[in-house]
Amino acid sequence: MATRPAIVQLRERDVATSPLATAAHYIFQLDLVLLAVVGGLVGYGLWIVNSVTADDIPGDPSFFMTRQSFAAAFGAVALVTLASLNPDLLRRARVPVYVVTAALLVVVLLTAPIRDSRRWLDLGFFNFQPSEFAKLGLALVVASLVASAGTGGLGWRRTALVLAVSAPLGLLVFVEPDFGTSLALAVVVAAGLFFAGARWRILVSIALLTAGVALAALWLLPSNGVAVLKPYQEDRLLGFLDPSSDPSGSTYNVNQSITAVGAGGLTGRGTEGASQTTGFYLPEHATDFVFSSLAEQRGFFGAGLLLLLYGLLIWRGARIIGMAPNLFQMVLAGCIVSVFLFQIVVNVGMTMGIAPVVGIPLPFVSYGGSSMLASLAMVGVLLAIHARGRLTRQRGPRIG
Amino acid sequence: MIRRVSDRRIRVLVVLFALLLALALGRAAWLQAVQSTSLDAQADAQAQRTVLTKPRRGTIYDRNGRELAIGELTTTVFANPQEINDPVAVAEIVAADLDLSEEHVLELLSDTERGFVYLARKAEPARAARLEERGLAGIGFESEERRIYPQRGVASEVVGFAGLDNKGLEGIERHYDELLSGRAGKSTVLADPYGRTINVLDEDPVREGHDLYLTIDHRLQLRVERLVRRARGYWKAQAVTAIVMNPHSGAILSMVVEPGFDPSQNVEVGPDERRNRAVTDSYEPGSTFKVVTVSAVLEEGIHKPSSSFNLEPQIDVADRTIGEVERRGAEVMTVSEILARSSNVGTITLALNLGSPKLEEWIQRFGFGRQTGIDYPGEVKGIVLPRAEWSGSTIGNVPIGQGISVTPVQMAALYSSIANGGKLVKPRLVERIDGREVEAVKPERARIMTTKTARQVTRMLERVVSGGSGSKAAVSGYRIAGKTGTAAKVEPTGLYSKVRYVASFIGFAPADEPRLVVFVSVDEPKGAIFGGAVAAPLFSQIAQAALTHLEVAPGGGSR
Repeated sequence: MATRPAIVQLRERDVATSPLATAAHYIFQLDLVLLAVVGGLVGYGLWIVNSVTADDIPGDPSFFMTRQSFAAAFGAVALVTLASLNPDLLRRARVPVYVVTAALLVVVLLTAPIRDSRRWLDLGFFNFQPSEFAKLGLALVVASLVASAGTGGLGWRRTALVLAVSAPLGLLVFVEPDFGTSLALAVVVAAGLFFAGARWRILVSIALLTAGVALAALWLLPSNGVAVLKPYQEDRLLGFLDPSSDPSGSTYNVNQSITAVGAGGLTGRGTEGASQTTGFYLPEHATDFVFSSLAEQRGFFGAGLLLLLYGLLIWRGARIIGMAPNLFQMVLAGCIVSVFLFQIVVNVGMTMGIAPVVGIPLPFVSYGGSSMLASLAMVGVLLAIHARGRLTRQRGPRIG
Repeated sequence: MIRRVSDRRIRVLVVLFALLLALALGRAAWLQAVQSTSLDAQADAQAQRTVLTKPRRGTIYDRNGRELAIGELTTTVFANPQEINDPVAVAEIVAADLDLSEEHVLELLSDTERGFVYLARKAEPARAARLEERGLAGIGFESEERRIYPQRGVASEVVGFAGLDNKGLEGIERHYDELLSGRAGKSTVLADPYGRTINVLDEDPVREGHDLYLTIDHRLQLRVERLVRRARGYWKAQAVTAIVMNPHSGAILSMVVEPGFDPSQNVEVGPDERRNRAVTDSYEPGSTFKVVTVSAVLEEGIHKPSSSFNLEPQIDVADRTIGEVERRGAEVMTVSEILARSSNVGTITLALNLGSPKLEEWIQRFGFGRQTGIDYPGEVKGIVLPRAEWSGSTIGNVPIGQGISVTPVQMAALYSSIANGGKLVKPRLVERIDGREVEAVKPERARIMTTKTARQVTRMLERVVSGGSGSKAAVSGYRIAGKTGTAAKVEPTGLYSKVRYVASFIGFAPADEPRLVVFVSVDEPKGAIFGGAVAAPLFSQIAQAALTHLEVAPGGGSR
């Protein structure tokens, strides 16, 4: 009873004001803290890419920074678009999204390999990486599937359906090969099931099944002559267990990365003194190992600042999961936040030797247009879910 | 119900993330705070390299810019025997390419105890390049500078030479080694994993060696050397030394010592041939030294050139009796005539009138008994006994150039001081460094007597040539001043030799406006011994050549 006058007031205001005022009102329903945090991450990320790549292309110190800035600008457009859309509309597009994603992942396999993998579609001005967008596409599909299971909870059959629908996308990415991103897709599926309320029994069963598959891929099948992982992938995973086993071989990258992080000390070696980065001892110092370069150049304080921003990102993301107006949006938010969490933790952990080496970009920081675009798009979806959650609370829960 | 389930699961996510974030921060703190020092050192150790840049050794030019000693790029070939699998095959190829003995190379390559052996220091770059193209494992190449002497034996005693490691061992090469060497550059560079330099972190730049321009005139040197060599052959002399010097600046235009050597063959010559006798050897000057006593009595105002003396055929000094070279009866001679006719009795008479304290003072004043300071290594002082050690007869020996030991450059400086009007100059061999004149090579002069005295002595010396013992020193068309000298060498027994003499002639031209002083000494000539017969003709030839070379206009005529 006490809330009724408030609802009436709000409705009157909605009716009475102009579209501009409506838009302004909507903007204030977005998670502005998250927006600020992401703005900070993108800005910090561009600055990091700029300092880390200054010596990479002689004569053009801002080569990578310029390209990454364009990607961020496109990403901002994607963010605004998705933030203003009702996520429930996306749910209706689940079938086309699935088909297009799958089609792009097939097309990419037909291209010529770049550095032994088929991950990119050359669009002339931009190397488009479909697997990055598959994360959001799969999240949408999984969330749709589990949400339509209704309130009765997620049973074995629905779980099996989710796995069956997701598996082809994961496999397509795995054979590119892109082990890291296929793991990220697995995280999307797991997060979908988790937040949809799948019983622990089911979750534990899937976890055991995954462990079994991993064991088979790494040990049983190879010993019977069937290679599932590429040799380098296997070396990296096993090398993680014993980094000193082969310092010049498969664990070279990790050891150089650990050296770079440690050499940075508390305050960093600066751009000039960061020999691990400028001397190319650190491979992929703008992409997979960008965190090590940051840690070398800016030290514990520079790396800590980035981790702090990521902490804020996940905190706001977790809050949005709880604010989602319906099951679909909650699961969607859960998938997105989990993927961010996975990428951040695995990437950062890998550079410091506490996670296996899987090539996975650090969101908002690693050089790469597709990753930047996809990450900002996912933030756009989170912002929209936040706004819908707020508006729904103000209007009261919708029935039906 | 779903809401509650999801709230719990969000909490699981948040707790999981908080733990992982804490783990990441903890790991970062461990690496960056605790292990930072050792990892930083590890990063520096693999990325920083010290690169040494060898400086170019300075070129030695003559006064006109002709190259006397230059550096040439060569390739040094070395090997690591431990990296060579088939020493026999490799030795065959290396020996063929570098023109070496196969057994020698095989011996080097078979010594697997060592990780580094030189196969050929400073080999022909073209030959080494051929070998390098084969890309044999365990064979390394390094470019190294080799000193070459394009003029071979010309001015070799002056220039000296540098050893295999480019360090100056003799002559100018040694005296100016520090200037010529320069200083190696040392830089710390950042290198990538393949050893390629990315950037320079710290640079101590290389300082190239300075170029030296000698006072030597190569063309004149060449001509003087020919004359000296011919004279040495003619007189079958043990050695001949000649110096042509500018009396005003001390610049030595030509310094020739025969026998000489070819520095490009320096390994085979003994120290005897490498010695620059003009600087490193002393001898008894004989009559050429008489100008010291004559100048002193004039400058001290004791006598005038025209003062005349009644001279007996011989003179007793303490336990010795000294006579003239050519017997004569009692005669009256002026100071002028004493010098012109090189009278021993007259000179000793003048010295007795001067007194031994003044005589010693004047010997020192002319620079005897100490180094002239010429920029050449190993200069000797000569031997001048201090007066405390003089015997009663010393005043009868020293004034006529016996019992005293001097160097050719000291004598050249003595005659320069008469020629230039009374100033003692420091003889020098370097004119410019890097094309600019520097403090170190400016002429150093000190007045030791009045111009008047110097002129008076000059006129007496002209009479030596125009009508005295040195008539063969004359150069037609020029006024020449000079003095002969003949001195018996001391035998190992300590007595004066009856057969081994040093014949010398020192003089300058033109007498009225001297442009050059010429010193000539012939060590142990055969057939004749007197300076006037042996050394004066060579003087005349050298002076003629030098006057022509310097384009000194004839004139003045003999008085």
